[in-house]
Amino acid sequence: MFQLEEILINFLLNFFTRVEINAFLRDPQNTATIIGSLIAISGALLGTFLLLRGMSLTSDAISHTVLLGIVVAFLVLTSLFNQEPDLSSPWLIIGAALAGVATVVLTEAIYRSGLVKQDAALGLAFPLLFAVAIILVSRYVQDVHMDEDAVMVGEIGIAWADTNSHCLANCETVTITPDDPRAEISRQCTNCRELAISPRDEAAVFTERCTNCGEYTPGQAWQAGLVENEPVLVFWPKSITVMLLITILTLLFVTLFFKELKLTTFDPALAAALGFRPAVLNYALMVTVSLVAVGAFEAVGSILVIAFFIIPPAAAYLLTDNLSRMLIFSSLIGAAGAYFGYDLARGSFLGLFRVDSILAGLNRLFNLGLLEKWNSSISASMVLMIFFFFFVCWIFSPKYGLVSTMLRRWNQQQRFDDQVVLAHIHNHEGTAVENEELAVDTLYSHFRWSPRKTKRILSKLQTRNFVHIKADTVHLTAKGRNRVWTFRETQLARETVIP
Amino acid sequence: MLARLFPEDRRVWLLIGGITLTTLLFFPFSYFVMGVRYDYTLRTVAIGGSLLGIVSGVLGCFAVLRQQSLMGDALSHAALPGVGIAFLIAGRELGFLLIGAGVASWLGVLFIGMITNTTRIKQDTAMGIVLAAWFAAGIALLAYIQARPDASQAGLDTFIFGQAAAIVERDVRLIAIVGLVTFVVLALFWKEFKLITFDAEFAGANGFRVNIFSMMLSTLIVVAIVLGLQLAGVILMVGMLIAPGIAARQWTNKLTQMVFLAAIFGAFAGGTGAIISAVDTDVPTGPMIIVVAFLLVVISIGFAPERGLVWALLRRRGDRHRFAAQTVLNDLFHYAYDHGSLETAVPHSFLTGVSGNVAELGLQQLLNQGYVQKRGDHWQLTPTGAEVASHQFQNALLWDVYRQYNELLNLPLIAEDRRQDIRTLLPETAVQKLEEKLEESVN
Repeated sequence: MFQLEEILINFLLNFFTRVEINAFLRDPQNTATIIGSLIAISGALLGTFLLLRGMSLTSDAISHTVLLGIVVAFLVLTSLFNQEPDLSSPWLIIGAALAGVATVVLTEAIYRSGLVKQDAALGLAFPLLFAVAIILVSRYVQDVHMDEDAVMVGEIGIAWADTNSHCLANCETVTITPDDPRAEISRQCTNCRELAISPRDEAAVFTERCTNCGEYTPGQAWQAGLVENEPVLVFWPKSITVMLLITILTLLFVTLFFKELKLTTFDPALAAALGFRPAVLNYALMVTVSLVAVGAFEAVGSILVIAFFIIPPAAAYLLTDNLSRMLIFSSLIGAAGAYFGYDLARGSFLGLFRVDSILAGLNRLFNLGLLEKWNSSISASMVLMIFFFFFVCWIFSPKYGLVSTMLRRWNQQQRFDDQVVLAHIHNHEGTAVENEELAVDTLYSHFRWSPRKTKRILSKLQTRNFVHIKADTVHLTAKGRNRVWTFRETQLARETVIP
Repeated sequence: MLARLFPEDRRVWLLIGGITLTTLLFFPFSYFVMGVRYDYTLRTVAIGGSLLGIVSGVLGCFAVLRQQSLMGDALSHAALPGVGIAFLIAGRELGFLLIGAGVASWLGVLFIGMITNTTRIKQDTAMGIVLAAWFAAGIALLAYIQARPDASQAGLDTFIFGQAAAIVERDVRLIAIVGLVTFVVLALFWKEFKLITFDAEFAGANGFRVNIFSMMLSTLIVVAIVLGLQLAGVILMVGMLIAPGIAARQWTNKLTQMVFLAAIFGAFAGGTGAIISAVDTDVPTGPMIIVVAFLLVVISIGFAPERGLVWALLRRRGDRHRFAAQTVLNDLFHYAYDHGSLETAVPHSFLTGVSGNVAELGLQQLLNQGYVQKRGDHWQLTPTGAEVASHQFQNALLWDVYRQYNELLNLPLIAEDRRQDIRTLLPETAVQKLEEKLEESVN
């Protein structure tokens, strides 16, 4: 992990100065956006396949149970091995990934017993595992990283503060032993309290304790004033590295197995027949989903992460039919949501207006006495922005949006109406009942339309020079006749009734 | 009334009565024997939890049967922003908070319907979208509210995981009244709800307004969710909703019985969970209720009559043994028959060679039944064994003849089940015809 960060920093130093990098990463928005985008990209890539396989809610189940994996691994490490693991410890990640896969296996087992339907199996298994995790957390874990609040919303807003410091120059690690002249030794009376004597008493026994002994990294040594030259440091947020690794893994998985994933998603039977082992690939997918859920847990909590899996792919699904494009679009939507979400949490909606002013307006209108400063959860705001983008896609998507669908329907209806009138005229023109069927005044009764609608359509057809009116009856022009013919040839020929 | 019921019905009703009695006896038992002090708080909490369990258990049955369990999950998450908005508008008044929660959750139902109706997105994804977005809105609102300088927002986040200790007598009365109203509605439209639950297409074809009733049912489920929020919290409410229904489903195939059982299971889970967490304040109520409810489900899935996994396993084992015994008996008989006398001893290696692993199992069974006896490493049919085997052989032959000639001989049609004795299934004349035909074809 540490080496990876160094490689990255050295790479970045080719383009930026150290001060620039530090300043950039110390801005909470930049760090939060980077982490959020990484989560959004990996979530969107996997979520696309989940959506197309009809397994969206599996990500819900996995994200819930990942918590149990983390908590159990945490408790095992602290109580059995006396370690102090933080959330980026590989053991926790492995434990959580295993728990995620276990959920999938468990729900499949419940479902296969045939006693419980699939949705009920899911709805039963993951609240249970989540409940156990919550009971464990609230009873046995006293750690800021693991309280119920962190479980819900994550700590993406303060991710910038939890850093590894990398030293570039003037690196001096300091080790202070009790013999060192810089060591601060304090004497402590060990039996004063027991015997109720003062430290000046002769019977008092003292031990010497070194208060500042230990190893100092260059950064800590400078802060403690142990070295003279200030080391040149880069502060690198730990969460970025973890999430970056997971994102790279996800990208590799999706690109390397793109063909297989595509095939098993759209035609699992064919994939199995060709020897691709859809089941194995399915479990690989679940493992990757679990990894992303674990990585995202620290940043956005265990429930909001499902938004990153479900919503961007759903939005992209409304934009395109092409799998590769869907992957790209959903990643972009997720990343954009992460970026603008930070702004929303601080009260600015896409830079268009400020939430504070809405609150102020509400106060003026209804006299609610609201606090006029919007400062909210970052991860939740990211999700809200992603949802907003989904909403926009839903309404305005050129292909499947509400507006375009409505326009298309309306157009179709118009063309159908025209065609009905033209065909009617064509059928009755030159027959014995012509005067009766094609009279302008009674034309509407043959379609059961209102007279107004018929009139409107007739005048439209007239201006487009499809029909003309002669002696109060309607007739086709040459152009109109032509139109009826082409319509019949192109449309009706396909629908010939088989005798 | 009781006489009209089928025997298995009576059994389930007895079970329902038994569990009710046990539950009722639990309170004096815990009071006098275990020394649990039911002070005012604990009493309120216990009654509140049980009432909630009843309401959500009953309505959860429909969610389970309509395969909408995950809908319950989405809807309970979706209630959170309503709590926040209601708090901002009306302050900390439980009634308003619950109305807000209900409205938000109900809008969630509408939105899910709108997405699935107007796009090609499927229902599960739509539920995921609403769940995540509504929940995020709720979290954002709560975070905003918590930034207020005064302390009036304290305890609002108990809606996330539930807190039994927060329930007071007025809440219990509210739960009881609203629960009663939902039950009245349920009773009034019982037939319609039953119909759209089991066969929505049939209901639609018969002129029932499926959409309206389905919406009503969803609304009732929302009501149950909203009532339970304070106790179970938005995240785990789904467990309280569906677990009693799933457990009850294992015991019976009748909707009425299922609903009653679910009510009892729900009352038990809700009451017990609430009491445990009220005694130990470190344990949030929602998770505790879920654990209790899940235990009920495990017991039901394992031990419910007919459907239970344990019985199924036992049944499968019995089948395997019977099959093995029959196969080996057949092998023994044929070997002996082909060698001229039914008293011929059959070498062990022959049996394992023909039937593999089944042979050992089958021989053990036959030995226990006294059909075979061991002669060195040979096996010999006992007189009873020989009789049974030849009877079976005869039966198999008759079945063969029946299958081939039943139309020719104009025999009555029966289902082919070779475990049964064909002579008991057919009338005597028909058996006679079969035997004649068999004689004929043997010669």
